[in-house]
Amino acid sequence: MAIPFRTCFEYLADRWTDELVVTSAGNTGQMWWDVTKNAEQVFYLDASMSLSTLFASGIAMGIPERQVWAFMGDGAFCMNPGMLMVERDLNLPNLTHFLVSNRVYGATSNAPLPNQVENDYGAVARSMGLSRVFTFTSLDELDSGFDAVSRPNKDGHTFVVLEVEPITGPDAKLEVMPIDGPEMKFRFGRYVERTTGKKIFSDQI
Amino acid sequence: MNETGQKSTQPAGDARAAVASGIVSQFSAAGVGLVGSLPDNWIAQVIDACNETPDLRHVPVNREESAVGLCSGAFFGGTRSLALMGASGVMTIIYAVTKISYTYEVPLPIVATLRGAPGDGHKHHVSNGLYLLPVLDAIDMTYVIVDRAEKLGEIATAIEHSYLISRPVCILLTRGLLRGEA
Repeated sequence: MAIPFRTCFEYLADRWTDELVVTSAGNTGQMWWDVTKNAEQVFYLDASMSLSTLFASGIAMGIPERQVWAFMGDGAFCMNPGMLMVERDLNLPNLTHFLVSNRVYGATSNAPLPNQVENDYGAVARSMGLSRVFTFTSLDELDSGFDAVSRPNKDGHTFVVLEVEPITGPDAKLEVMPIDGPEMKFRFGRYVERTTGKKIFSDQI
Repeated sequence: MNETGQKSTQPAGDARAAVASGIVSQFSAAGVGLVGSLPDNWIAQVIDACNETPDLRHVPVNREESAVGLCSGAFFGGTRSLALMGASGVMTIIYAVTKISYTYEVPLPIVATLRGAPGDGHKHHVSNGLYLLPVLDAIDMTYVIVDRAEKLGEIATAIEHSYLISRPVCILLTRGLLRGEA
């Protein structure tokens, strides 16, 4: 059982408030852009190859008062599952790692992942000591469990496995967010400065 | 031996620790608050010094690319940071720095060992000696080689330069420096 990809993202976008969001390359970034059209509160980290949640961890460490959502496809996760060791060490209560599991390399013609069927991402996370681990395979499950997911926990960060269907049809040709890297940097950075008071450009550069 | 050719009276371990402390002092002088590292024998004492430095958060990572991700994100959290690794690590992060640091123009100081240079007794680092600097040249990454204690001040300068140009800068530390012999 799996959630239709667009349905899942429309649900999350509907529940989204002031969280900072980091997306990874491919389906998650394109779909989040399609359903939100937000280019300030979101950092679209294209071509990140497994680094989106650690990138988000760096943000979350510096801004503990803000919740940070980080999306990652399971193709990226399989490249670097050891990232969870670092995330567990950091144990950031304001970080939610959404693992978008469609069991394929979605950005590259839905080529199958290795060990496609057997991979148990929640078990991987628990084996590394994470305790706030959630897996959702239907919209009803996601809806009934979302309040627990979105409730920060002082003891650590949250890992959410979203079992979704691979994207097919018109959604397979979604627009890539049409902003180049430096503009992305300044849009997101200025938003963070404006809404948190953090000095990103004026003090660091 | 000291500069005048006389045998130093300072124990080797103390000399290494003093250099490591001096290196980390440069991190602090440049305002670095976060270090992501993956070890190399040569920088073990630098990592120890990071752990002992107040106001400096040290995060061990599972692979060098993870430090690139973490440190790049830290920039957007308002925290100056750097990635600390061996030369082999630099060879593995080319994708990450070109895709993240270059694409988004995010500063990233990288502090690494200059493995494979004459004096390194480990044959498995030969490839680093042959290809590390040409690879950095190939991707137009600015680098500085710090080979003497008198040049430690260049570390903070290089970190500042990375933030000035919004690109990675690699700071390469030699064996002699890290052993407290230069």
